[in-house]
Amino acid sequence: MKLKPGRVLAWTALVAFLLVTIVPFYWMIRTAITPAADLFTDSTGVVPAHPTMINFWRVLGLVDAERARAAGGSGAEISFLRYTLNSIIYCGLIATVQTFCCAMAGYAFARLRFPGRDLVFGLILAALMVPPIFTLLPNFALVKNLGAIDTFAGMVAPNLLMTPFAVFFLRQFFLSVPREVEEAATIDGAGRWGIFWRVVMPMSRGPLITIALTTSVWAWKDYLWPLLVGRGEDTRVLTVGLGVFLQQSPNTQPDWTGLMAASTLSVLPVLALLVVLGKRLVQSLNFTGIK
Amino acid sequence: MKRGWIVTTTEDRVAVTAPPALKTRPRDDRRVAWLFLAPVLIGFAVFYLYPTFRGVWYSLTDYSLLNTPSFVGVENYDKLIGDAQFWKSLRITAYYVVLNIASQTVLALGLAALMHRLTGSIMLRATLLLPWLVPNVTVALLWMWLLDTNLGLVNHLLAAAGLDTQGFLVSPTQALPTIAIINSWAYTGYTALLLYAGMLQIPVELYESAGLDGAGEWRMFRRITLPLLRPILALVLVVSLIGSFQIFDTVAVTEKVVPVGAGRVIYFYIYQQAFKYFHMGYASAVAMVLVVILGLLTLVQLRLLRASHSDLT
Amino acid sequence: MPRFGTAIAALTAVALSATMVACDSGSSADADGRVTLDYWLWDDQQLPAYQACADAFTQANPDVTVKITQTAWAQYWQNLTTNLAGGSAPDVWTDHASYYPQFVTSNQILDIQPYVDKDQVDVGQYQAGLADLFVKDGKRYGLPKDWDTMALVYNTKLVNDATGLDQLTWNPADGGTFEKAIAAATVDANGKNGLDPAFDRAHVKTYGFLPEWADGGQGQNGWGDLAVANGFTFLDKNPWGTHYNYDDPKLAETITWFKHLIDAGYAPKFDKQSTLSRDAVMDSGAGAFTIVGSWTIGTYLGTSAKQKYAFAPLPTGPAGRRTAINGLSDAIYAGTKHPDQAWAWVKFLGSADCQNLVGDKAVVFPAIKSGTDKALAAHRAAGRDVHVFTDEATAPGGTFFLPITDHGNEVSQVVQDAIQSVVLGQAPAADALKKANDQVNGLLQ
Repeated sequence: MKLKPGRVLAWTALVAFLLVTIVPFYWMIRTAITPAADLFTDSTGVVPAHPTMINFWRVLGLVDAERARAAGGSGAEISFLRYTLNSIIYCGLIATVQTFCCAMAGYAFARLRFPGRDLVFGLILAALMVPPIFTLLPNFALVKNLGAIDTFAGMVAPNLLMTPFAVFFLRQFFLSVPREVEEAATIDGAGRWGIFWRVVMPMSRGPLITIALTTSVWAWKDYLWPLLVGRGEDTRVLTVGLGVFLQQSPNTQPDWTGLMAASTLSVLPVLALLVVLGKRLVQSLNFTGIK
Repeated sequence: MKRGWIVTTTEDRVAVTAPPALKTRPRDDRRVAWLFLAPVLIGFAVFYLYPTFRGVWYSLTDYSLLNTPSFVGVENYDKLIGDAQFWKSLRITAYYVVLNIASQTVLALGLAALMHRLTGSIMLRATLLLPWLVPNVTVALLWMWLLDTNLGLVNHLLAAAGLDTQGFLVSPTQALPTIAIINSWAYTGYTALLLYAGMLQIPVELYESAGLDGAGEWRMFRRITLPLLRPILALVLVVSLIGSFQIFDTVAVTEKVVPVGAGRVIYFYIYQQAFKYFHMGYASAVAMVLVVILGLLTLVQLRLLRASHSDLT
Repeated sequence: MPRFGTAIAALTAVALSATMVACDSGSSADADGRVTLDYWLWDDQQLPAYQACADAFTQANPDVTVKITQTAWAQYWQNLTTNLAGGSAPDVWTDHASYYPQFVTSNQILDIQPYVDKDQVDVGQYQAGLADLFVKDGKRYGLPKDWDTMALVYNTKLVNDATGLDQLTWNPADGGTFEKAIAAATVDANGKNGLDPAFDRAHVKTYGFLPEWADGGQGQNGWGDLAVANGFTFLDKNPWGTHYNYDDPKLAETITWFKHLIDAGYAPKFDKQSTLSRDAVMDSGAGAFTIVGSWTIGTYLGTSAKQKYAFAPLPTGPAGRRTAINGLSDAIYAGTKHPDQAWAWVKFLGSADCQNLVGDKAVVFPAIKSGTDKALAAHRAAGRDVHVFTDEATAPGGTFFLPITDHGNEVSQVVQDAIQSVVLGQAPAADALKKANDQVNGLLQ
């Protein structure tokens, strides 16, 4: 193919997009492996003059306060290992339980007949229109009154069982499943639960994974609710840990090398997900997007 | 945060492809149905329905989170009308939404078109998706560092190019546009992939025959891609817009360095009123206003959307 | 439907286990009656000193350990209020005169007067006036832990002629000898100083003065001290005034003078200001003078300082030389599960035993005289000249207290916004401050 100037320009633009996407991440890692003491003198080179892993060790809580302080930290207790684990628990609980419950409900709304079905479904749909902050305020008061602040129970509660979106999404999917399959199972004598569990669920792996992935990504990124409810060390998730870390910097200047090391840690699991499930993830966008 | 978007897109897809519910066997599954629904209904009643009513009630009370709410009628709404900071936060939010949606949509559209006409390799798409997968808090921190006045990469590059260094987040006029661009960075790849998926549905023959007619790329983009993409574009816009109104994370992280409260958007204002000043009742009233604004916006947009649909068919 | 039952059971199990992972992050007591108290402070420099106190405290009270958490000043109050809102506040926290009234109004601080009476704590042992700052309507909300005054700090290499620095004068019209000293210390890219007619204010290499603009409604680190030296008073009465005077022209003049420093190129432009703190900028050699509190002595005269510094008294304004004097206290959370242990800790923090330990570390001046003497001795031993701060504290009529009213948190944000907008040239000082004043007085009604 002949290389027309327009085509060259187009490719250049695409590469520019890619660079703008990747370079910030590169710079994050580059800063993370720079000793804090070098930051003023060595903040321009492509690679740091004295690469070090100390920043990672100290944000993981693996060195004592004295050494952390010497390496530019505030000496505050900080353990991103713990926060990562908390994030995984938070994501995992919400994604699995919610997907399961919403699949049951979605199936009921799509297939079962019962009085009040449309009304209830309509209410759930209407909830999609309410901005989360509006329910967040009373939910916080509720969780507080239940004494569930700083507990995982309080953190996952509002989204553990359902989100209107997941119910809606899975209902729409179950509507599109051909009835014949289920009818055959009915003839075989399977009950409603048997059909759902043994016939419908296995053939719905695609959409179930899609909704579980979407929910995981959302929970991984969630900040405001965990910030309010999961403030203690034991329930602190990564995003909140990052915010706290920024605040616990020495008052003189943010601990940038430590912050970038911690940021890198918050990206790694996502990167792993992308490597393992990249294709699935990208295709799920096609799936949820318009076909 | 921008979770809502897929909703409408999915609806669109399924509404077209789903077979109409068969009306055979009028049967009553009520017992088993409520069992299937039980967990979701509990979750819905306790964490969506109940708080909605509570929220309305709080907005009519003097409540600090530390006392018991006492009814004050519309006092909070009265106060809101004269509250300069509230109006400022609304203005800031509107400004942010315009900047963010405009930059993000234009960039995403361009990127999608490039992928559509050049390559849509999985590797490329997965890479472009990366910023979207990263928590907004990380994104905000990362850019705070990149845009640092003294040590940030961007100002180093500007200086190396012989340009003036910029304040970015520490400048009252640049701060909000900067936050808008930061979030566009995080969401452009994702939005582009959605638009790209839409573009794939456009029949290739259209481009081939246009190519035979000697149409250039730009012409094809304007005459074929853009009109046929319109319904999807509109859908993506609706959801990005609603998501954009709810910006919080980036603002909360950068608040410390942004001067004159130039980044104090409505979500942040509500958060501060409730959790910094203990004005839970007042915060609920402000949140109510947000509910109304977003409701109206959604209605308007759905109308526009329907109009663009009928245009096409 | 056995399967269905299993699923429900599994679900319940998950929910239960989630609850069980839950931990109480607040204070806790285990089976043997051991208690862990949560204690918050904001200054990372002071952390080691108070850790030493905590260790000594645990040694004397083996059943009680103290867990200290430090959060930077900028986010400290937001964090504390959020924890209070959730009912999981620390048992004891470091409190500030301008910020604590909000917690009194919302009943979040324990009244310690009964404890003080019972244990016969001598509140007269503290630096004059400090103990009273934390009293309202006969109730006491904290014991003083330290005091601080403000002074000029300068880079001795950039300000090579120190003569007369202890006699500086200032007025908002021409800036007095203070402005001349600042101008002389400002150097542009060509090496010309601010007094030179050829001075290029667009390309400044070293700024004569570094102002602090994130300074709440008090301006403790600059504008507040000079405004008071210009005859400004914050409130109709302090503490517990009900009317702010931020619309006083004397304040507007002061802020306008600061803006003039920026316009003249003697101070960095606010919208291109460093994201680093003033301490860090001073350390990079890009600033000659700034106004700091005595709690930063360790930063400037300590071993980790990258430049050579010295202190000078604040300039004398039309109303004399005036410095903010402020004391911090320790507050007990009203919802603490261990009020007795918390009181024991607060009493220890307010005692000579702990304050002497803090004094030895010489990061702040403890509120008790013996602690201050220890700090001065430690400074002397290390060859650090800090007499400026103590002289100012004892000068008759030379000090003023920071404003203490309800809604201090909100007032700070409103006033800080207004002052920043003036400095940025978005609004004239008189207008912006008038608007802010109406707003904050509205809050107090």
